[in-house]
Amino acid sequence: MGILTILWEKWVEFRRDFYKITLAAMIAPLMYLIVFGMGIQTSSHGEPYLNFLIPGVVSLTTMNGSFNAIAQNLNVQRLYEKAFDQVMISPTPLWQFIAGQIIGGSLRGLYAGGIILLLTMPIETGLVFNGWSFLVMFLNGAVFSAIGVVVSFLAKNHADVPRFSNYIIMPMAFLCNTFFSTEKIPGFLGNFVAALPLSQTSHLIRTIASSGAVNYISILILTAYLVAFSVAASWFIYKKKNL
Amino acid sequence: MIETKNLTKKFDDFTAVDSLDLRIETGEFFGLLGPNGAGKTTTISLLSTLLLPTEGQILIDGQTLGRNRPDLKRKISVITQEYSMRQDMNMDEIMEYQGRLYFMPRKEIKVKTEELLDFCGLLPFRKRTVRKLSGGMKRKLMVCRALLTSPEILLLDEPTAGMDALSRRQMWNLLRQLNGKNLTILLTTHYMEEAQSLCNRVALMDHGKLEEINTPAGLIERLGKYTVDQETPEGAKSHYFHSRSEAIAFLSSLDGQCTLRETTLEDVFVERAGRHLMQR
Repeated sequence: MGILTILWEKWVEFRRDFYKITLAAMIAPLMYLIVFGMGIQTSSHGEPYLNFLIPGVVSLTTMNGSFNAIAQNLNVQRLYEKAFDQVMISPTPLWQFIAGQIIGGSLRGLYAGGIILLLTMPIETGLVFNGWSFLVMFLNGAVFSAIGVVVSFLAKNHADVPRFSNYIIMPMAFLCNTFFSTEKIPGFLGNFVAALPLSQTSHLIRTIASSGAVNYISILILTAYLVAFSVAASWFIYKKKNL
Repeated sequence: MIETKNLTKKFDDFTAVDSLDLRIETGEFFGLLGPNGAGKTTTISLLSTLLLPTEGQILIDGQTLGRNRPDLKRKISVITQEYSMRQDMNMDEIMEYQGRLYFMPRKEIKVKTEELLDFCGLLPFRKRTVRKLSGGMKRKLMVCRALLTSPEILLLDEPTAGMDALSRRQMWNLLRQLNGKNLTILLTTHYMEEAQSLCNRVALMDHGKLEEINTPAGLIERLGKYTVDQETPEGAKSHYFHSRSEAIAFLSSLDGQCTLRETTLEDVFVERAGRHLMQR
């Protein structure tokens, strides 16, 4: 099956760049945890701020891990290496290629988020991470992998993906319920930010971590994002005349 | 069999391929020739579904080719002009990736990879990443990759570009062998000697339009089978003749340095390209 071929390709890449991938996944989130969680010791709603921060950092790490694994890589394959041509020419159904990219990207995001969970384990926060947490992390990774596929197809040159990262992904990393609650953003902007996929993920993981409750509406919203971006990616790959 | 009907590709207001009607029979070795920008690579890209046509259609064995036709894509292998490979994969991984994309069994991928890399003299370098290969080695690897899947149709876009003379001759022999096994081959090349030596028929393209389809011998015949090259103060000048006696008679009437030889496909190409330049 074509999905397994793409996962195999991702595995080859992961195996080769294991140390680089692992280190890159750790550095920024660790800095956030050390500076905001341990350096500037504050509390939120009567609890240590670290308890608020860890689910947010896990969410944004999953997002970054997935998006970067797909968008940059696919962009290089399409515009620079032209290795993407090999897939387009082959009989592997293109929807399977997209599905493989999304699953592969989610697994990379899950791996990055898992590292942060491992690193924060020695800190006794009392937070709970269970199967639901991992499912949400996977779903979040899937959404941002699908966004990564779309962005890589839209990119006209190598600088476009980092540009998208700077304009969209980076602000989301800071604003979407990660370092502070979206309730503090006033009016329409607050509602808009709260509806973004990372805000939903952070909220879900935080709720699960503190009380174990699962908000199914948030899961539905994330699924809707995943479907929308997967359809967009499929449209590009099947219908765009000059891909 | 490959057939194109009114195949047209436009990029904004530039027409790269203009109403191309081609019919390439099964087992044929067909050449697509033309100056830079004639539309040869765009045609290959359309036939390999990398680009979608603005108008017209492509038929493979009578069925319309599209990105959603894995059954038809299965029959086609392509060697693109650029090195379209993951730079960070080694040769074994490149071959395995290709085999997996074509749903080949793992064992078959392994056996055929060994055979093809050995045939092209690449076996000692199989663990070397693409990034560290020379241009000629990359080209050979692309050939191995294209042949791994036992295609029925092989699309070759400048397959010997960057190869040394010996490797090029080896490649020609390989392509002849494959064509002998009823593989349909469509070749674009800048080496006219290559087209003359390999192709049953060639199509001449310019400005995206098909100008003529003929056998290499037919094209040469039309221009004149014999060429007299004359050195003049303005530079070399060629004269074409249909019979050897006419050519010799002309030669004996000339002063200065002159030579008589057989006309080649390159002469046909140069004559046509020169005429078009004059027209521009």
